[in-house]
Amino acid sequence: MTSPSHGSDPHRLEPEAFLEEVHSFEFWFQAVSGYLTGRPYGHEAGSSSGVLEPRARERLLTVLANYCVGETAALEGASGLIGFAPNRQAKIFLSTQVVDEGRHLEVLLHRMRELGVIDAEAEVERRANHALVIFKRRLLELVASKDWEAAIFAQNVILEAMEFVVFQTHAKRADPVTREVLEGIVRDERRHIGFGENELGRRLKQSPHVRPRLAEVRRELDPLVLASFEETLAEVEVPRSERPELGRSYLAAVARLGFE
Amino acid sequence: MIADPLEVADDTPRQRFILEDTGFDEVPVKYRRFYRKWRGEGDSLAPNEVICPVCSVVIRSTRELRPGDRVYCMPCMSRLVVARSASGRLEAHVSY
Repeated sequence: MTSPSHGSDPHRLEPEAFLEEVHSFEFWFQAVSGYLTGRPYGHEAGSSSGVLEPRARERLLTVLANYCVGETAALEGASGLIGFAPNRQAKIFLSTQVVDEGRHLEVLLHRMRELGVIDAEAEVERRANHALVIFKRRLLELVASKDWEAAIFAQNVILEAMEFVVFQTHAKRADPVTREVLEGIVRDERRHIGFGENELGRRLKQSPHVRPRLAEVRRELDPLVLASFEETLAEVEVPRSERPELGRSYLAAVARLGFE
Repeated sequence: MIADPLEVADDTPRQRFILEDTGFDEVPVKYRRFYRKWRGEGDSLAPNEVICPVCSVVIRSTRELRPGDRVYCMPCMSRLVVARSASGRLEAHVSY
């Protein structure tokens, strides 16, 4: 997509050429090859987390189980969105997001098995946070009703923005293997939050009348994700005093979209 | 009305920069030198750099940035416009 005179300078691309490039499967493939090659199940073979204390292992399993709930929601949501995405670029981008979410679910379940869990999927069900399960159900209802703006808002803005912050915060405090797995996921999440905010920003510009409906979605779903967010931050032992700071990046994203 | 001195067009030649790959691996190889990670406290921005407000990656240009310039954040797919903040620093605003 770069003309010869531009070399590889992305800032010299025309806006449409930029969008075409970053939504492409080729761009995604080359991007993920940079940080996933040589890391089966999200971490370098041979890296070790040592032996975790029983209490620390328990807490980590609960957190990983809830990450699996969020990733399953995004996997099912993103795949359902492809069918009624408004254009080819969005469909292709969502196909890459589906692959990302499938990988996330797989590496998180694998991490649980590495920690000694025999039936990881049963463990996810047993430890799932009630609020997050309700959030997942509501997200999939929005997808089933083919409400593009509301579903993108719920999935790629509310859920992904929260996950982006939680995974980054957790990675800083995690054992080396979990950290590596989470850092790989965060790299993918950058694309997902960016797609959500930019897609919605463009839609709101063209159709400002959808804003009150999205504000309603936010009022309903925010508390569910925030409850799960709070619980996870407590499990990874983030001091209460630091938590408002972490919520700020999510609030900044919704503020940029005009939701105060 | 007095013009804001910070908004006066600057026609002086821009400083040019040679960008090195800093190990940022979230975009295809050919674009990597145009981005880097923000290293947190103690890090600072060069005249050819701004932070993406969406994903917090540092966006780099081969030339000194000035208000009104368009830059792209490929890691999060955002189109941005450079502006000068009230404190006088350059920052990027999302352009939907």
